[in-house]
Amino acid sequence: MIQPMLWGVGTSAYGLFPERRVESLAWDAIAEAVRDAGVTPGQIDAVIVGSVFGPPGVATRVQHGLGLGGIPMWTIENACASGTSAYHEAVEAVRLGRFGCVLVLGVDQMSTLFSGAIVPEATDPEGAASLPLPGLYALQAQRYLGEFGVTPEQLAAVAVKNKRNGLDNPRAQLRAAAPTVAEVLSSRMIADPLTLLQCCPTSDGAGAVIVGPDRGNRDDLRIEASVTVSGMLWDQRGSDVWGYASVARAAEKAFAQAGRTPAEIDVLEVHDAFTIGEIITLEALGLAPRGKGAELAPSGHTARDGAQPVNPSGGLLSRGHPLGATGTAQLAEIAWQLRGRADARQVAQHRVGLVETMGGSAAGMDGNACVITILSAQQ
Amino acid sequence: MPSDLGTTRRAASELGVGRPTKRRPGAAAGGLPVADPRPVLQDGAVLGCRCTVCRYPVAQLGIPWCPVCYSPVVPDRFAVSGAVWSSTVVAIRVGALRPPFGLAYLDLDDGPRILVRLAEPAVVTIGTRLIITGTDSGDLLAAGEAS
Repeated sequence: MIQPMLWGVGTSAYGLFPERRVESLAWDAIAEAVRDAGVTPGQIDAVIVGSVFGPPGVATRVQHGLGLGGIPMWTIENACASGTSAYHEAVEAVRLGRFGCVLVLGVDQMSTLFSGAIVPEATDPEGAASLPLPGLYALQAQRYLGEFGVTPEQLAAVAVKNKRNGLDNPRAQLRAAAPTVAEVLSSRMIADPLTLLQCCPTSDGAGAVIVGPDRGNRDDLRIEASVTVSGMLWDQRGSDVWGYASVARAAEKAFAQAGRTPAEIDVLEVHDAFTIGEIITLEALGLAPRGKGAELAPSGHTARDGAQPVNPSGGLLSRGHPLGATGTAQLAEIAWQLRGRADARQVAQHRVGLVETMGGSAAGMDGNACVITILSAQQ
Repeated sequence: MPSDLGTTRRAASELGVGRPTKRRPGAAAGGLPVADPRPVLQDGAVLGCRCTVCRYPVAQLGIPWCPVCYSPVVPDRFAVSGAVWSSTVVAIRVGALRPPFGLAYLDLDDGPRILVRLAEPAVVTIGTRLIITGTDSGDLLAAGEAS
């Protein structure tokens, strides 16, 4: 087996750019990743794209502008985990020797699709019943309030932490101010108990990652594990909140593959589309026991200067959430952190990093897909 | 309150309106009609399928086998009573539905967990007993057993 390495990363800015061609966001990200990896476009021998809303054909139009045709290219839709699903396929392809230099692109432009929150999918039983994404997460949050005694203040502490981190991210969509817990809780209610400042914005953006075999470059990051799982039945039989089990399944495999424990992870980027999402995810990753994940932000454990910083980029809550691009944006942040080049966002310990992306909303399943990868810097 | 979130709403206010999109919003939200995937209430029961071996219940029709044990399924009718797993009140407009409206996961007695709309838009305690009393625009409506 070949050891897959992360060679380079790049991203566009994140925000609302309806005046821009969606392809130009991708070109920004890819140009930076190609420079970062120190490769020429001609070295790229496959392109794997993650995108939820396309538009159809966007990958080929991106190829057109790059002069990057004739090589295998395909697009993956795995909800919010589309970008990291594309990355996972690149890692596996390199591991098996199928390709030697794979360009991963995550891209979505939501400002030209939705005038506010994402419109639920009418072909889904719960989408047709008008369950919006924040409503789905609110149902999990209410369960945590009722079952574990989690408080609204603990939920809000996640938003305060991530939005404070986002102030130092020049590419983040929301960086005007870092709210207090009281301001988070007094912002407009979206779905009880989740207020506006506990919800990520809809966004436009792109991210690119270049993956290849070990080429003896000290700056490349070792991909110790990459795991993808799809959803399983989520129903009346289980006690887990929605989403927990899919992350836990992927986490168990990822830690086994890397031969590491959760305590060995120095820095994490995880799926905080809503505040409760970060809490559930950190429990599923094993950073806290069930029902105790809400204590991690208020205690400072997950702060940028804490023992295990989570979402130093500002997370989806600050950076924004262009669905397909989010996984690649998380990978870019962890790459910058592990190389010690995250500027004002740099965390103190940065040898081992973890990215988790969870995509979901199809009724009756505990997620559409979850991808977890563990990377390390070469010492 | 910080001003940052306002940017999202202002800049997005007129975007995407009236455009065809990859997503199917459904007729209620201004799109073309799609086949209704919601659980069906008929003659005082929720329609679905049940496994002939493990008795797993699903509030869907037309599935080829039991999603748990892969054994044959047969059509079944489920009780309209159950216990709330969790609930929320949505404060934003979704499609044609104006806020506030309440949603809950209801674990039907000896039946599946389904999403219902609450007759009263208020969060209810976990375990509260509810009964599906009817539908509104195809959504199942649930209210307290006593009401």
